[in-house]
Amino acid sequence: MKKLLFSIAFAFFALAGYQAFAQEPEISPERKQAIDSLALEKVRDLSKYIKLIGAKNTPWSEANRVIDRAVELFASDSEIGVSSLSKTKVEYYKVRQYLERLMRLNYDRVEIDWYKIQYVSDLQRQPDGTYVGVITIFQTFKGYDAEGKLVYQDTTKKDITVYVNRKETQIGGRLVGFWDVLLGDMRVKETTLK
Amino acid sequence: MLALSFKVNAQSFGDIGGSQMDERVLYAMTKQMGQFIHRFNYEEDSYGKKLYPDNPDYHSAKKRQETLPLLFDFDNPRTNGALGEYFIEDLTKNHIQYFEFLGGDWFSEVTAKFKWKGKIVDISLIMAIEKEGLGSKWVITNVFFSEFQKMFPQGEMTEREKHFLHPMSHELDFMNIYKAFNNPQIIEYYASSDYTTDYLTLFFYEVKQGNLKFDHVDKVKFHVFQIKNWYFEVSWFNRNGYNSGWLISNLIYIREEDKSSLLKLYQPKK
Repeated sequence: MKKLLFSIAFAFFALAGYQAFAQEPEISPERKQAIDSLALEKVRDLSKYIKLIGAKNTPWSEANRVIDRAVELFASDSEIGVSSLSKTKVEYYKVRQYLERLMRLNYDRVEIDWYKIQYVSDLQRQPDGTYVGVITIFQTFKGYDAEGKLVYQDTTKKDITVYVNRKETQIGGRLVGFWDVLLGDMRVKETTLK
Repeated sequence: MLALSFKVNAQSFGDIGGSQMDERVLYAMTKQMGQFIHRFNYEEDSYGKKLYPDNPDYHSAKKRQETLPLLFDFDNPRTNGALGEYFIEDLTKNHIQYFEFLGGDWFSEVTAKFKWKGKIVDISLIMAIEKEGLGSKWVITNVFFSEFQKMFPQGEMTEREKHFLHPMSHELDFMNIYKAFNNPQIIEYYASSDYTTDYLTLFFYEVKQGNLKFDHVDKVKFHVFQIKNWYFEVSWFNRNGYNSGWLISNLIYIREEDKSSLLKLYQPKK
């Protein structure tokens, strides 16, 4: 409900500024902040989903439903590129494949936490006029065996592409402009932090 | 050391997680190249909050003098000493300048592994931001591949001078041109004196022929020529402590008139 209200509020905010946007192609700092919030909302959802998918007490069917929700956050064909300190070669996964691997990890218990720190880049315009940015977040992962012993841990930096598109929809016969945010490719890099 | 680092308690726009972990290292880290540019120009404060032109601290020279030293690799004594101080003084007093994303004259060097003739080789792709349509994109401007360089050695001038087609060759229907092809290793000696090897076309040709197959990206760094009389390099430092992320890994004083020949290496067609 909160999310729906947020979306409606955002659509009206976007509508109010639509006339200005039609003549002014650059995003104002205020608009940028609103888009950042929307993008961060998506990243926050993704973080929540990753935690649920990784948790061993999430039922299988529920985890699969969460994977579906998580995949919907991404533009089609998005990929996850993963490297570690020991293996610098980037391995590529489709989003669903990456999340399914997370679900099947062979630990008895896992802990996934997110640092409060995040960094949102400027939005840069692509040749087709759509905007692209990158949000950086950090995650810690701990895997435990049946005896409760910590057998693996890492801290990864996740750089997530964010695509921002100007779209229009009809509400009550009127064309309403809004900003649509989709996640794109994600680079996952292990840091030296433990 | 903490006093030397970026301040650490408000560098976010929201709250992704509820972790109680020590986040100071991550606050201090220059996490994206875009953040490097913002810190370089003082377009974000030391707490990580974005500044806009209506803020009195935006581009503040005084603040830049405090922040710029933190963008150097502390472990590099060459750039982290007097040279760095001159650079900062130049940037903030003598020729006030900013690093602009769309300002040109900065390049990314992407070192990647390729398979070539059955072996794994390193090739550096030089990339630049180019404006196109309504926005911009990264484009490949040159490549460095040692095998290509070996194929086109400079050669001794005395040796080069021995190989030419005399100016009356046309009267003989160029019957002597076969000499140019006798030794393929030096065929370029028969080209014009202003001939330069186009490594990018060679690279595309090899890829199109299927001789070069991309494997993976190894390393990325940036070369910046935008600042008057200076060149600097920015590399990624994946390490603990308050001096990590994208940092200045090399700094050279270079006069503007000497830059153009160097820039040709990065963008030969400009």
